[in-house]
Amino acid sequence: MIAVFCMLDLLLFYVFFESVLIPMFIIIGVWGSRQRKIQAAYQFFLYTLFGSLFMLLAILLIFFQTGTTDLQILLTTEFSERRQILLWIAFFASFAVKVPMVPVHIWLPEAHVEAPTAGSVILAGILLKLGTYGFLRFSIPMFPEATLYFTPFIYTLSVIAIIYTSLTTIRQIDLKKIIAYSSVAHMNFVTIGMFSLNMQGIEGSILLMLSHGLVSSALFLCVGALYDRHKTRLVRYYGGLAQTMPIFSVIFLFFTLANMSLPGTSSFIGEFLILVGAFQRNTLIATLAALGMILGAAYSLWLYNRVVFGNFQPNFINKFSDLNRREVFIFLPFILGVIWMGVYPEVFLESMHTSVSNLIQHGKFY
Amino acid sequence: MFDNDFIALLPEMFLINATILLLIYGVVYSTVHKVFEPLVRNVAWLGFSSILITLILLRGSPLTTANLCYNNLIIDNFTYFFKVGLLLSTACIILMSLQYFQQEALTAFESIVLMLMSTCSMLLMISAYDLIAMYLAIELQSLSFYVIAASKRNSEFSTEAGLKYFILGAFSSGILLFGCSMIYGFTGVTNLEELAKIFTAPYVLRPLSDSVMLNSADASWSGVFMGILFIAVGFLFKITAVPFHMWAPDVYEGSPTYVTAFFSIAPKIAIFANMLRVFIYSFYDPTWQQLFVFCSIASMVLGAFAALSQNKVKRLLAYSSIGHVGYLLIGFSCGTIEGIQSLLIGLFIYVLMTINIFAIVLALRKNRFKYISDLGALAKTNPILAITISITMFSYAGIPPLAGFCSKFYLFFAALGCGAYLLAFIGILTSVISCFYYIRFVKIMYFDTPKTWILYKPMDREKSILLGITLLGITFFFLNPSPLFLVTHQMALSLCI
Repeated sequence: MIAVFCMLDLLLFYVFFESVLIPMFIIIGVWGSRQRKIQAAYQFFLYTLFGSLFMLLAILLIFFQTGTTDLQILLTTEFSERRQILLWIAFFASFAVKVPMVPVHIWLPEAHVEAPTAGSVILAGILLKLGTYGFLRFSIPMFPEATLYFTPFIYTLSVIAIIYTSLTTIRQIDLKKIIAYSSVAHMNFVTIGMFSLNMQGIEGSILLMLSHGLVSSALFLCVGALYDRHKTRLVRYYGGLAQTMPIFSVIFLFFTLANMSLPGTSSFIGEFLILVGAFQRNTLIATLAALGMILGAAYSLWLYNRVVFGNFQPNFINKFSDLNRREVFIFLPFILGVIWMGVYPEVFLESMHTSVSNLIQHGKFY
Repeated sequence: MFDNDFIALLPEMFLINATILLLIYGVVYSTVHKVFEPLVRNVAWLGFSSILITLILLRGSPLTTANLCYNNLIIDNFTYFFKVGLLLSTACIILMSLQYFQQEALTAFESIVLMLMSTCSMLLMISAYDLIAMYLAIELQSLSFYVIAASKRNSEFSTEAGLKYFILGAFSSGILLFGCSMIYGFTGVTNLEELAKIFTAPYVLRPLSDSVMLNSADASWSGVFMGILFIAVGFLFKITAVPFHMWAPDVYEGSPTYVTAFFSIAPKIAIFANMLRVFIYSFYDPTWQQLFVFCSIASMVLGAFAALSQNKVKRLLAYSSIGHVGYLLIGFSCGTIEGIQSLLIGLFIYVLMTINIFAIVLALRKNRFKYISDLGALAKTNPILAITISITMFSYAGIPPLAGFCSKFYLFFAALGCGAYLLAFIGILTSVISCFYYIRFVKIMYFDTPKTWILYKPMDREKSILLGITLLGITFFFLNPSPLFLVTHQMALSLCI
């Protein structure tokens, strides 16, 4: 997985992109919790494989035209607009499944729910970023005209995804599914920011990617802690945890607020920059995305209310134990990261300035 | 006068002599005592050693390029590497089948002798440079195969398999011979080199003058085209490509398992060698390309869909090898050097994977590995074997970074390079579909709970060495694919030039 983000060669990127499938398939299948895990593992595997095979054809076509798959050389080649559109669509097929974008996002709730805690953390923290990383590293720099051509398409899909998934989340009854759907919404925010093609948008999208990695993983760890104790993920059975698991409630509150993009947390910086960038491109999209933010607050706060506040349900759960020291220490780095990025993001942003401005200059997106 | 022939054919002559000597040894010693226990084992080990000695003779041959026996046989780089590959895979298969003989307490040593005889005929088939020599070699190989397919005497399944193979095989050999005779009738020569001169003449002479065209053959002449079509049909039958694949699942399932392994590996190598020489060297023409495109698409589609509903292991492996032949035919139907090279790479990697999976099937025989669900919960009793099966299955499916992905990648690369976009597209679609049943193996091993007691019987040393080597090859091929690429490039060049 580390290798995927280091590769400057198309073919090797593809090889490592696909090699994460096998371990994730086995993790979901072996350590998942119930029988539906097999279906989830299959879905995950086949969806991702199907999309990425189109990317393989595109890589072969690029190799034919230019004789190389080295990214630095490919950045200097000019593809004709028709061919760029074709290649962009092929790459899109692969990355859109991983992001996940709306028609092909179904694997994500299934995979997250059925995976074990550790599997969910890796899936949310790293695998989802592969798609948007692919867009940023390969689609946008290599095919600038096609990117401009397809930007409205991406915007439409992303906004539909944000609003649709946020609305669907309000109805969910499974803790992990709620967080999985919120992951979909966040990643589509990232694509809106990325395809606004200005400094603020792209930097915001990268920052939101980083912050989402921290926040979502921490949320999955919280849910995992609950699941370890009570072996159920249904919201119905939980209630009044503030009285019995106070440390957990504080940490859970922190990450719920971070999920909602409260100012002071890293996701606020990311989303704010994205909205600024998107507003410069298309005010309607920015408005609808901000609406998505409000819906995000709705489901996050409601979830937190149902689980932590109120009375606890003695019919279902009788014994409680708060987070032990190991689990608190697990959360500390996440909290540190979120606060640091939220209060002083300049450290992270300044390392991005050069590359992002290079990208924009290269594609002539100004 | 025949010095060169003798020196060049030394490997084949040695193998034939060894075969006959082993036959005599077997016959004599099978009547010496009531039941001579180590007979089959002795014959098998001696057969294995004779194949290794043949390999050494081949390697140390002073001649590298020669036309032998009045232009009936040829030796060059192409045949050399193919023969090496064939001999190594036959040696591996004999190694794999040793435990089988011991378990079944077979006293029929003839299987080994027949396998050696068919290997020798396949060596001659690879070198064949004349339609008649080719046909004779194909017949000898097929006849040996018909017998060993039916060699399990107390099983009706096996007899049925042998009978089916015999009838359909003889029929297709007849069609092959008919095609050869039509070619002879319309062109007057049977030598592949003369045919090459005749068939490429229009392309060479066309710029010069118009009247020359009437004297040279073109593959679009209807009579000649019928001949080529019949020859193609005969060949396609032997490699179980689609419209002519019907015998494969039944024969593969009914034969004893080591014979199935031999069927999946050896004829494909030899007949692809022969097909390459006949079609790309002699009948070089885009007319028959459409036939192979159709067969390739149909094989891939059938291999993907038909295996989805199989429950039995050997049938599933038969259908998956039909699908794989479809992928190899992609490389065949673009007539470029990349096409040939990709076919050769795909073929060698296919041989590697097939040796692996059949070694596993043979190793699990004692646990009644007939249905796929017999694999249940193998991950708990035999974790290393489970990992081996998973890696081989993922490689068949074409998941990076394993060897199967490299072979498929290069095949699609060759297809796109010569403009066969439809082939590459269908190849990708069927790859995804076939992925489904390959992953099913992994699912059954790791995710399911077993229905019966699982007993653990260790496999013998030879198979574990084979499995280790092939697994290493499959997993780490992508780190150093250059040797295979260079070798196959050399082979493709020596074919075309």
